[in-house]
Formats: sequence, C-alpha cells, structure tokens
Amino acid sequence: MTSAISVRNLTKDFRIGIRGLKLRAVDDLTLEIPRGQVYGLLGPNGCGKSTTLKIILGLVPATAGEITILGQPSATASARERTGFLPEAPYFHKFLSGRELVRYCAQLSGVTAERVDQSVEEALALAAMTEAASRPIGTYSKGMLQRIGFAQAIVHDPELVILDEPTAGVDPVGSAAIGRMIHAMRDKGKTVVLCSHLLGQVEQVCDRVAIMDRGKLVLEGKVDDVLARRDRHVMTIEALTPAAQDAAETALAAHGAKVTSVTHPRRSLEDLFRELVTGSRDA
Amino acid sequence: MKASLQRAYWISRVTFLEAVRQRFFAFLVVLGAAMVLSSLSFRFLDFGHGELKFIADFGFGGMFLFGSVLGVVMTAQLFFSEMDNRTALTLLAKPLSRTEFLLGKFFGAWAVLAVFLGVLSLLLGGVMWWREQTILVQAEQRGLLPGVFSASGMFAYALLQWLRLGVVIAIVLTISSIARTFLFAVIVGALAVVAGQLQWIAQDVLLKPADNLAYKSFLWVSSRLLPNLQQFNIGDALVLEPASVPTDAVQWVVVSGIFYMVAYLVLASAIFRRREI
Repeated sequence: MTSAISVRNLTKDFRIGIRGLKLRAVDDLTLEIPRGQVYGLLGPNGCGKSTTLKIILGLVPATAGEITILGQPSATASARERTGFLPEAPYFHKFLSGRELVRYCAQLSGVTAERVDQSVEEALALAAMTEAASRPIGTYSKGMLQRIGFAQAIVHDPELVILDEPTAGVDPVGSAAIGRMIHAMRDKGKTVVLCSHLLGQVEQVCDRVAIMDRGKLVLEGKVDDVLARRDRHVMTIEALTPAAQDAAETALAAHGAKVTSVTHPRRSLEDLFRELVTGSRDA
Repeated sequence: MKASLQRAYWISRVTFLEAVRQRFFAFLVVLGAAMVLSSLSFRFLDFGHGELKFIADFGFGGMFLFGSVLGVVMTAQLFFSEMDNRTALTLLAKPLSRTEFLLGKFFGAWAVLAVFLGVLSLLLGGVMWWREQTILVQAEQRGLLPGVFSASGMFAYALLQWLRLGVVIAIVLTISSIARTFLFAVIVGALAVVAGQLQWIAQDVLLKPADNLAYKSFLWVSSRLLPNLQQFNIGDALVLEPASVPTDAVQWVVVSGIFYMVAYLVLASAIFRRREI
C-alpha cells in the first residue's frame, strides 16, 4: 500500500526583497507518512512545517522535489478530492452560519446533492457543532471556529486530514475535544497529519512524529520509540518509608542497579485543569 | 466541465452574498439612485437639449460613475478579502482549480453589478416614462414632436453597461492577481478604467500620419491592450433614438467587449495559477 503522503527531496526557496535574496524554508526534506495513523509534524516557529503542508496541498509550488498524496501527484485537484485541510487560525465568511459553511465546503469538495445533507450533519455531529450550526460564524468563539473548521475539513469523508495548528489559541477543554475528534478519525481508518508546536498535545494524540528545524528533518519515528529512554526505568510505589527506600536501594545495588532519583509523581497542569473544569463547555 | 462550472457557481454565490451585504454596495446604490432622482430637480439646466435627454444623461452618468467605482473597488476588495483573511487557503485546498476560483469571483462581482444596474435602470426608466407622459401632453398641446423614450433601448443600454463593467471586473481581477495589496489594485484598476475611457484618443492619433515609429508602436500597443470603454456610451441614442443606432455598431461593441473580457480572464487565470497563497 502506498503512503498517505510521500515527500522526496523537497526544497523550497523564497525570494525576498527587491534583490531577490534567497531564503530556504525547506531543505531537502524526505518524509513517508503511513496511512491510518496520526502523524505529528513538529518544530519551532519558522522551521518550515506550515510551508511543507502548503506545498503538499499545492498552495505553494516547490522549488525542487517530488510529492505524492495517496499515490497521486500532489497539487492536482484529484489528489485534493481525498484530502481535508484545516488551516492555522482559520477565518471563514462571518455572514454564513456554521451549517451553511460546511454545506458550501461539501459542495466545493464534490459531495453529491443527494448526500450533501447527511454529510453535513455527520460532520457537524463529529465536531460537536450541531447545536450551534445555525448561528452566524461571526458569533463563534475561537474553539468553535476550530471545530467548525474541522467539520468543513472532513465533510467529504477524506482519507487524509491535514490540520495546521488545530489547537492554537484554544483552551484545554477545546483542545481535548479536538484530540477526541482526531482519535475518532483514526478509528475510522483515516490518516491525520497535524502540525503543531504544542508538544504535550502531540504526544497524547500522535502515533508518529517528525521534528523539523531550520527547514530540515532532525528526527522521525514512533512517539513511543523516540521518547522512551531504554536505559532508565520508572517505578511508582505507594507508602514508601525511608527504611523501605534504603532496603530497596540496597537490594537493587546487589544487582548492580542504582536509584538515581526518588520523586513524587506529578500530573500535568492540563490534566488538573481539565479535571477541575470538566463541566464547562466551550461557548 | 459540469462539475467545474458548479464549483465556480458556488464560489460566485458566496461572493455575491458577501458583496451585497456590504455597506459600500448599499451606499453606492443609494448615491446612484439619488443622482437619478436629482435629475428631476436640475432638469431646468438642460442647456437647450430636451428634458428627457438631460434626465437620461444625468442618470447614465450616475450609473457609469458609481458602477465603475463599484466595479473597481468591490472586485479588488472581494479578491483581497479572500487572500488577507486566508479564506482562500481553505477553499483552494479543496478540489477547486484556481481558474474556477477566479471565475467564481468574476461572476459573483458581475452579478452584484447586474443588481446595481438593474435597480438604477428601473428607477431611471420609471423617471423617464413618468416625465414622458407629462411632456407628451404638453407637446401635443403645442403641436410639437418630442423625443420618445424607448424601454427596450433602456434595457439594451443596461446590458451594454453590464458588459462594460464585466470588462472592468476582468481587468481588475488581472491586476489583483499580480498585486500584493488592495490599494495597489484599486489605484491601478482605476487608472486602467480612466485609460480605457480615453483610449479613443490614442486611436484617433494613430490614424494621423506620424514619423516616429516608436511613438506609433506605443500607441498601437496601448490602443489594443486596453479596450475602448467609451464605445459603450451610446445610451442616449439607444434610449431616445433607437432607430439611429446601427445594429452592426452595437454588435461590434458586444463582440469587442466579450473578447476583452475573456482575454483578461484568461490572463488573470494564468497569473493567479502561479501565485503563492
């Protein structure tokens, strides 16, 4: 089976200023994104990840390199038929209602007239936007904008969904909702590529990650593989007394192991926040 | 082909809805209507021409002026709002070609101008018909034969103006495809409209003998690059003396207008396809 996205030796130079000075945004990038996984493209601001996504979608031409989407050359309308895209900080026509926007995008994406109503309602339901779908987009909060953006990206049931900073500016409750939508897409066998610098969230939702810096790929692999430190172990112990700790350290030393630190486990601030505001709704 | 036209239609529909919601559109419709109605107050300034001709010229002036402003500013605004707000990113990531996007913008803006011209034409036609009834009674009493208002001529004039504004929209879209800012597109677009209105001067000069080949070449190129927008201004003849307008002259204006409109749209599409979004 072909990859969801195959990028080979991609380079992108921007010409800046009157003298046309060359700025290399992406430098000889090669990437294979497998199907059916959630793939995170990470990196600091300006590292070339958004440019890479735009080139993949044909919004910006590549200086060099070859890209295919689901086995078809990218930048063709047929490749985009099976792709959904949520841009960073999406902005939509404020006078349209959420439902009208999703319907508009369904029509542009080639959803047939017979299927369009059902597709729109399914996408709105998955994005948890059914209740607010009749309101003008101008009245939406940031989190709702992201969710309606997600709905328009998936309304034509694409095989590949590309999300550029899907949780930027969204509170943790909204982020968690978007995380659930991403998992729902993966459960349906879709490939999700997301671009973010919110590492905590990426760690929670992604199966594989690629890290870019200054236009180059610096690391790629399964999340578990790239994060695990095989030479270290963590044990969680209840009711540890100083005497028990001494005894455990002695026993471990007898086998050549050494306790390097003993700390209390911490939950993340995000987990604590979500726990405390569980009942809140993003409205 | 059908799917392609459908996508262009969806874009044009939203473009139209966006434009007619703007205060700018409503403002220019009100200004145009006010100009048509104010012709009734100023008709004593008819400079010796017939009253109906004065009203017609005044109304056509309003349609031409505000229609041109709407055609230039609104088209550039509709194009750059998609770029600056990055809604174009969302749309062009869909199976939508850039030509379809541009055609959608064109037809959306053109539909808005159809509404604008339709409203003003109906108003002007109504005013002229009303005045004609009064003038006819007075003329019959004096035994004179006044100019007769032609409703079909008014309709033909509105269609010609719509075509002229279609050419203007196509020119502004071409400029917008190159331009990086809204302001640049509006200024250059307005200059292009003015140059198009004055293009007949270049054609006149071209007909006269001249030794300077470079000058002649410049005039030849410039008189063909820009359409002669002045040729669409045959409104008073169409409305008041329709029999005096040769059919082949109107046909030539229509063919020339369609040619420039299509040519500029093809050029705009070719430029826009290379643009980085």
